[in-house]
Amino acid sequence: MLQYAAIAMLMLGLYGLLTQRNVIKIIVSLNIFEIGLNLFIISVGYVDDGIAPILTSNFNNNGLIFVDPLPSALVLTAIVIGVGTTALALALANNIYQKYGTFEIDEMGEE
Amino acid sequence: MKNFLAFVAVLVLGFLIITSLNNNEAFPNYGEADISERVSQAYIDRSATENPGDITFGETTDLESGPANIVTAIVADYRSFDTLGEVTVLFISSLGVALLLGGVNRKRIDLDFHPNFMLRVGSRALFGIILMTGVYVAIHGHLTPGGGFPGGAMIASSMLLLYLADDEFRVKIKGFKMLESVAGSLYVLIGLTGLLLISGGFFLENFLDNGVIGNLFSAGIVPIVYVLIGLKVGSEISGIIDNFLTEEAV
Amino acid sequence: MSAILLIAVPLLTAFVSILFKKYSHYMLIAVSFLSVFALGYMDLETITIGGFDAPFGIVLILDNYSLIGLYLVNILFFIVAVLNCKEYKKLSSILLVSLAGLNGLLLTGDLFNLFVFLEVAGIAAYLITTTNKKPLATFNYLVQGTLGSSLYLLGLILLYAMFGTLNMSDMAREIGTSGYGAGVTALPFLLMFIGFGVEAKLLPFNSWAKGILASSNSLSGPMIASVYAAAISLVFGRLLTNVFVIEGTLLTIVMGILVFSLVAGEAMAFSSKKVKEILLYSSVSQAALVVLVFMTGFAGWAVYLIIGNATAKLVLFLVTNIAAKQLGDDEVDTFKGLFTNNKVVGLAFTAVTLSVVGLPFFFGFVTKMNILENMFLSGAYVWPALILITSFIEGIYFIRLLLNLWHTDGDSPEVKFDFVLKYVVVVIAVLTMIFGVYTKPVQDSADDLVVYSITEGGNF
Repeated sequence: MLQYAAIAMLMLGLYGLLTQRNVIKIIVSLNIFEIGLNLFIISVGYVDDGIAPILTSNFNNNGLIFVDPLPSALVLTAIVIGVGTTALALALANNIYQKYGTFEIDEMGEE
Repeated sequence: MKNFLAFVAVLVLGFLIITSLNNNEAFPNYGEADISERVSQAYIDRSATENPGDITFGETTDLESGPANIVTAIVADYRSFDTLGEVTVLFISSLGVALLLGGVNRKRIDLDFHPNFMLRVGSRALFGIILMTGVYVAIHGHLTPGGGFPGGAMIASSMLLLYLADDEFRVKIKGFKMLESVAGSLYVLIGLTGLLLISGGFFLENFLDNGVIGNLFSAGIVPIVYVLIGLKVGSEISGIIDNFLTEEAV
Repeated sequence: MSAILLIAVPLLTAFVSILFKKYSHYMLIAVSFLSVFALGYMDLETITIGGFDAPFGIVLILDNYSLIGLYLVNILFFIVAVLNCKEYKKLSSILLVSLAGLNGLLLTGDLFNLFVFLEVAGIAAYLITTTNKKPLATFNYLVQGTLGSSLYLLGLILLYAMFGTLNMSDMAREIGTSGYGAGVTALPFLLMFIGFGVEAKLLPFNSWAKGILASSNSLSGPMIASVYAAAISLVFGRLLTNVFVIEGTLLTIVMGILVFSLVAGEAMAFSSKKVKEILLYSSVSQAALVVLVFMTGFAGWAVYLIIGNATAKLVLFLVTNIAAKQLGDDEVDTFKGLFTNNKVVGLAFTAVTLSVVGLPFFFGFVTKMNILENMFLSGAYVWPALILITSFIEGIYFIRLLLNLWHTDGDSPEVKFDFVLKYVVVVIAVLTMIFGVYTKPVQDSADDLVVYSITEGGNF
């Protein structure tokens, strides 16, 4: 089920990107899209009854079922990249506001 | 009308993706992924180079990759090169934010409210706790959940707290720049050490002893790299916060 | 020398350069020169990182294909950097990161690592385009670029879920031996194709390109239209020939996209009144042509097409942007008679344009002729006809543009080109003509360009 939720979230973000004309709302939509994507990546690695892929002291660690650790590692990278782009997008939004005095793309009267 | 069209298009697209995944014989159902068919099995067993047999926490020594946290083993050891790229992304976006928001002489943006004495002192006490938690998380990244990135974000959030609780406060940006640059350079230099100083070595090779799995001092270069990442991420995000909360002095 | 240095050294220099802002542009020039120089000492090999062999660790692949790409991108990058380092000192650190990102894109043999470098190079590109002073256009570029690379990541993760690996050659092998039909990979390949289509300016996905390139300057124009376009096309080519298996319905969809992009690009260039827009739409259709040639299987000639295009676009965008900066705008009417005062630059510009169109005795002719010949021999008659028609349209609007630039009734505008630029432009134009006439080395080497080590297994 989680995969469907993730895809629904992806589509929600895409809908926002297609319809919104406000710079900040576009950034929010982009973030929703990315979070949906991250959720989907995690869901791909889930195994029924799996535990977090960390070796701990109380067990002999063989024979335990771990969830797939690779998607988690990939998501870590994807999240950080998302943070970087969001920071940059917000700085650009600041520049746009200084230049046009508004966040609404339709009111900027250009392109 | 346009919104409705977009809504329909998005619904159709989502439906198409779900049905095509459902009808896809190669795509595993949720929860039924077979890890033994994936490369991840080798990360869990630490058998990418040779099979070490059973792994016992606190006893097994000299594995090919030492962290008890398997995700850390992938992020900072097996696929450390990705992490270098990831650090670079943060580095360049913090540079970009500074470039876009620009200006040499900067001062704090005037806020509508002025924090009182209690808030200032209280937040300073909290600052230390958050900072130490961040450092702890970064140092224990190879044993517990967390690591350099969450740790760095916590360090930056402690700075954010000070920024929000005190309308005069500014960090020493010069110092953070220095930290950022040194931490980043050291990461690359550690990588180059593996390549150049060890005969037959590789870039980003773990050239230190891996020790006993589960000990604080284990896993070779992984904790060192993770602490560097924590410092770098912390200083970069603090720099971004500073850029957003200051403006050019007129 | 290990090819990893091509990534590590620019990165290290970028990290150091933020402390020494005053000298950062010297660092940029030194590093970009050294990386061109160092390419001569690289051995062709598969480089393992961290000591874990493929598919467990990340590998870099240095074969003939990536070597020729590295030469092209590094030389063009060096030229653009030298011409702009004084004016855009502030961007030196960012350009260093972008050099590392581009080299990483060309070298990497791992699909997820490719995504990381796509983002590194991408964010550097967004920052380079901020010099246009059009924040809204840059914002559009950022949103669409991020969306594109996210779609690529989604496709990639679907492939991982099915085949359990991220390494390119391992992935190609798994897909080949898994015994599933082409149906299972259709969705991920389509997503990855669209993701790369955004970056490579294929038409339905490229609305960012207009805002960026129509207001570009002498740094961002050549950088995006020439250096980045070459790198992205080459990586796209590697995916198309080495990893993707495109068949059936998917092939029809993809070919439809390409034909639309090719024809619409030429049509829009034909109706444009601004010099930069003409160049921009022409490069859109050229990008589609390159992908088309890759897909029909003549990878060697596609590489030559990329080389020809990248060098030509470098000259065209440089000259146009410098002229537009001094004249104030880039309407064809303002440019009328531009070259009557600048005969040297004018001749070079003309030679390069004619090469793009594909007239005889220029480099572009050799590539186009061979592509057409090979397509005819393989029995596909639709594509040659399409390429001929679009080349014809291209010929009309480029020659119209050239006539306007050489001929005027009134005063001709005064534009000063500095010495370094003249030198670069003339050298490229002369090379275009030399290899247009002396075609033997080009003819002979086309197949050697695409000797991939990846298909021979790399490190198994």
